[in-house]
Amino acid sequence: MICQKFYAVLVHWEFLYVLAALNLAHPASPWRFKLFCAPPNTTDSSLPSPAAIAKDASALREGSEAVVEAKFNSTGIYISELSKTVFHCCFGNEQGKHCSVLTHNSEGKTPASAVKALIFRRLGINWDIECWMKGDLTLFICHMEPSLKNPFKNYDSKVHVLYDLPEVIDYLSLAPLKDNFQTVQCNCNVQECECRVPVPRAKLNYSLLMYLEITSAGVSVQSPLMSVQPMLVVKPDPPVGLRMEITDDGNLKISWNSPTAAPFPLQYQVKYSENSTIKREAAEIVSAASLLVNNVLPGSSYEVQVRSRRLDGSGVWSDWSSPQVFTTQDVMYFPPKILTSVGSNASFHCIYRKDNQIISSKQIVWWMNLAEKIPEKQYSIVSDHVSRVTFSNLKATRPRGKFTYDAVYCCNEQECHHRYAELYVIDVNINLSCETDGYLTKMTCRWSASTIQSLVGSTVELRYHRSSLYCSDSPSIQPTSEPKNCTLQRDGFYECVFQPIFLLSGYTMWIRINHSLGSLESPPTCVLPDSVVKPLPPSSVKAEITVNIGLLKISWEKPVFPENNLQFQIRYGLNGKEIQWKIHEVLDVKSKSASLPVLDLCAVYVAQVRCRRSDGLGYWSNWSRPAYTRIMDVKAPLRGPEVWRLMDGDVTKKERNVTLLWKPLRRNDSMCSVRRYVVQHRTAHNGTWSEDAGNQTNLTFLWAEQAHAVTVLAINSIGASLANFNLTFSRPMSKVSAVQSLSAYPLSSSCVVLSWTLSPGDYNLLYLIIEWKNLNEDDGMKWLRIPSNVKKYYIHDNFIPIEKYQFTLYPVFMEGIGKPKIINGFTEDDVEKQKNDAGLYVIVPIIISCCVLLLGTLLISHQRMKKLFWEDVPNPKNCSWAQGLNFQKPETFEHLFTKHAGSVIFGPLLLEPEPISEEISVDAAWKNKDEMVPAAMVSLLLTTPDPERGSVGVGGQCNSANFSGAQVACEDECQRQPSVKYATLVSNSKPAETDEEQGLIHSSVSRCVSSEPSPLRESFSSSSWEIEAQAFFLLSDQQPDMVSPQLSFSGLDELLELEGNFPEEDHSENSVYYLGVTSVKKREKDMFLTDASGVLCPFPAHCLFSDIRILQGSCSHFVENNLNLGASGKKSFVPYMPQFQTCSPHSHKIMENKLCDLTV
Amino acid sequence: MILGRKMWLKLLCYFLWIWSCLAYVQSVPIQKVQDDTKTLIKTIVTRINDISHTHSVSAKQRVTGLDFIPGLHPILTLSKMDHTLAVYQHILSSLPSPNVLQISNDLENLRDLLHLLASSKSCSLPPTSGLQKPESLDGVLEASLYSAEVVALSRLQGALQDILRQLDLNPEC
Repeated sequence: MICQKFYAVLVHWEFLYVLAALNLAHPASPWRFKLFCAPPNTTDSSLPSPAAIAKDASALREGSEAVVEAKFNSTGIYISELSKTVFHCCFGNEQGKHCSVLTHNSEGKTPASAVKALIFRRLGINWDIECWMKGDLTLFICHMEPSLKNPFKNYDSKVHVLYDLPEVIDYLSLAPLKDNFQTVQCNCNVQECECRVPVPRAKLNYSLLMYLEITSAGVSVQSPLMSVQPMLVVKPDPPVGLRMEITDDGNLKISWNSPTAAPFPLQYQVKYSENSTIKREAAEIVSAASLLVNNVLPGSSYEVQVRSRRLDGSGVWSDWSSPQVFTTQDVMYFPPKILTSVGSNASFHCIYRKDNQIISSKQIVWWMNLAEKIPEKQYSIVSDHVSRVTFSNLKATRPRGKFTYDAVYCCNEQECHHRYAELYVIDVNINLSCETDGYLTKMTCRWSASTIQSLVGSTVELRYHRSSLYCSDSPSIQPTSEPKNCTLQRDGFYECVFQPIFLLSGYTMWIRINHSLGSLESPPTCVLPDSVVKPLPPSSVKAEITVNIGLLKISWEKPVFPENNLQFQIRYGLNGKEIQWKIHEVLDVKSKSASLPVLDLCAVYVAQVRCRRSDGLGYWSNWSRPAYTRIMDVKAPLRGPEVWRLMDGDVTKKERNVTLLWKPLRRNDSMCSVRRYVVQHRTAHNGTWSEDAGNQTNLTFLWAEQAHAVTVLAINSIGASLANFNLTFSRPMSKVSAVQSLSAYPLSSSCVVLSWTLSPGDYNLLYLIIEWKNLNEDDGMKWLRIPSNVKKYYIHDNFIPIEKYQFTLYPVFMEGIGKPKIINGFTEDDVEKQKNDAGLYVIVPIIISCCVLLLGTLLISHQRMKKLFWEDVPNPKNCSWAQGLNFQKPETFEHLFTKHAGSVIFGPLLLEPEPISEEISVDAAWKNKDEMVPAAMVSLLLTTPDPERGSVGVGGQCNSANFSGAQVACEDECQRQPSVKYATLVSNSKPAETDEEQGLIHSSVSRCVSSEPSPLRESFSSSSWEIEAQAFFLLSDQQPDMVSPQLSFSGLDELLELEGNFPEEDHSENSVYYLGVTSVKKREKDMFLTDASGVLCPFPAHCLFSDIRILQGSCSHFVENNLNLGASGKKSFVPYMPQFQTCSPHSHKIMENKLCDLTV
Repeated sequence: MILGRKMWLKLLCYFLWIWSCLAYVQSVPIQKVQDDTKTLIKTIVTRINDISHTHSVSAKQRVTGLDFIPGLHPILTLSKMDHTLAVYQHILSSLPSPNVLQISNDLENLRDLLHLLASSKSCSLPPTSGLQKPESLDGVLEASLYSAEVVALSRLQGALQDILRQLDLNPEC
């Protein structure tokens, strides 16, 4: 019993001792230690006394003192009695090979004995134990690992932790305390065990009492009791977010983030290796989460790890973080990127390595955007290998496509590495504009961030600082500032609202631009809300035209706020779709109305008013709501209406009804309306009286006296018109004529100009009255009053040009109406004539041109047709039908025509050549002249079947030119070979001019026919049909009045008879010519051959209208003697002659030479 | 010795405050300060007029139980003006009505202007930072918010008009 008590006391004593020992061992927390357990020398169940333990320990010390090299720093001994085999266990430190047994004496705890660990190890078991508080502060973990030869190695071990967490350790009640211990089983495998003791966060600073209980192979070992404060043995989680970067100074900055769960400051330890060869571990333990490494070389790689521990040194180092590798580039820029504002300075440094050689800084040059070399004066040498370039007063970066920065290159003379530094220069001069509302309760500030849009990834915010009163002269960015929420508007502006406001406080504001490269701040600006007030617009705005004064009066009420003096501005204008505003400034700050002159008093005006502070601060208010004037009578009518009269009845009658007419007053004259008209009458006998006409514009009265004067007054709500027109009806004056002439000229269908002349007179002419009316319609008379000094007047009305109008001009004298002048204007004929005249100049040239074109086309086509169908023109000599004909016999001739007519199939001109005609070409002989005598070509076209009329025969000189003969012949050497000459003769109206004509004809023909007759003759003869036919056809078609069919044949006889120059006796001597007719005056133009061609030309246009003349060189005698054309020079027509000729002796002579030529 | 140090500190603070005020006075013409003061008073008066329910308060009717609101007594000096306005500002800041918040800000500006005016006369107004909140204020506001607001505003209006008159008379510190 006594022993038991002693044992209990001993246990308690030892417990206290251990605790005391543990506590004393602090601050070196026993987070890593060894547990040594060994069986005692005796198997007695009784516990050794402390003295015995001390003795034993002392013996051990004595026996093996030389072996022991280290002492226990913190040990405890506990004697286990859990089994029959009792083990002595104690703690040792990492290096400890001794297990000290502490004894308690009256003075405290002193080491009583030491047991050689070697003995324990040989005899017992050893555990390496490591305990810590997990980084998340939830678990206390003990990791156990048997060391060396473990006797329990081959057995399954069961390890338990028994623990308690008392707030305060009561050493006196430790025994019952042990009963409260909780048990946690550890997870064990062959190699290790791990025990996890949950620790509430609230008890992290409590004392954790615990001991281990190890059972294996039937042996139980109990560790000494341990005490630890969990908070002091925290093992943090390793740092995270390890990163590296080159600083602006060219150093390598290693930075990391502390583990999130650590509620206490940490210290860190960094280890890194350079190029995997040089391993460095930062000797200096840093408290900041970053470390700068200098002497960083380009092209090197750095592998870095970091761990952490509580800053005060307690606890356990965390595990190393996972390694991070950072490789520096061959070209190092520091800083690699710069964000700065416009106007600032910036510098880049560079180290350039090439082929494992660092380039000397003297060889480094700088380029911008690979486009321009930066001037060398901006370089500076920092060291042998570090070059610097400095930019001063930077301008904003101009974005190039998606590149919003300037690329700065560090180059080795002419060689640039592809890497570059980025320079962002942002224009931060952001304009802030603020406006205080009209109630002085809200200030709205707006600003645009358009200039910083190029800086991708940036955020902007408005910051401000409010001073108590006013703004300083030079606002500056204050350290104590507040952000202001701003909203982005649709127009791209940010809007920030301050409400409520301090009216007289200075708001210093600036924009802060936050970016990963840094932050920029715009220049601060200070705004006083009181100085940026935009007042409310004036209220109660009214506009009116003042009566009798005639001014536009605008009145208003000033807005409630601000209380400062205000200036006002008025804008007004005529109401309409597009108002032409006029601006009026009101200088008097106390004024509440303004009167303005306006032109039109009878129009609706619109007016608006706005205001601003008179000291110029703040903004103009918005324009007030528009105020409109009303149209009302402003003054009495300025004048009476213009008045005229209608009179009917007999002029001679003494009494006539007169209807007064007046035109309603315009608004500007009536100011602004007319209520009624009043007619005042004045006569010599009846005096003056008035007659109310109401709103009518006419009034009829009886004019009975010699003179009757009337005046029409216009009356509105203000009064009657003062200036009025008088009209006096006076019978004597109606006979006074003052208008000398009057004429009317229509200018258009809407305007007629009237001009007149007045004769001077003794009467005082007041004005003139123009009356006009359409005589064809009863649409009434219209009239106008014209000032007396006007001499012409443009009447604007709807005139119908084909109608007849009557224009009357009345002179109105003071004494009465004078005698009018009446004319009728623009009749139908005149108008039509004008129309025709106008059209003539246009239509005639067009017709002529068309005809020319048409005839030219016909000519060409006819020629071609003829060539096509008449390619081989039959020679009349060879015509069988002509050879057998006796042309002196009319019936034969008739038969000829009849036969021929019957064979015509294409029309009268396209004769069938072979059976009906024969062409004889006779060349005229030249009368010893060099110039070629024109050949006369006679062609015959037979169109009339009447032998009586058409067969006009003239006897030839050389043959039996008997008119009645059946044969007409122009024979060579009087061979009397019958031949028919087809001729178109041209006569000259002036025989005296024959010589001239001869030359003219010669020249004209010579233009068409070359001087070489023989070849031309053939061609000419071959085409003569065409020419003749055309000429003939045209003559009879184009000038039917000049050449009629009757005239051609039957009329010719009569004409010849009338002329009397065609005697019978001459018939036998004169040849019969077949003549065309012409206008003598146009003969000069009768040329149809060109000068140079010498060949047949197309007919000129005028030739179609011209005559066909006979050449006088050969047959002029015919003209002279027979036709006596000289006497007919005045005639317009040349008689059409039959196609028979009587050749003159001269002609015969020519014909003898076969040169009897006729030409056209 | 300790008391002496405190005194020196107080004097130093006072000097600095005076100096800052004088610096303001130097930069801002005193005439502008006077004009702004009067304009601001008129603005506050107009603001109170614009609060519709203050129109119907009869000036003849006396409301009891609101003794913490300064009465309509002549305010002859700048310091009294400042003190009165500080009390009103204190009361108005306790009122939950949004209308009076702007007036409270205006009063703060007005008091700053009065301090500037006082500085221009080389005198300083006593600080009102130690102004105690009336004990009965919370109870009255809870029970009679309308009465408190109407009476406070109407009396403030009267006080401001009185101050406006006194400013024309060049009041003393």
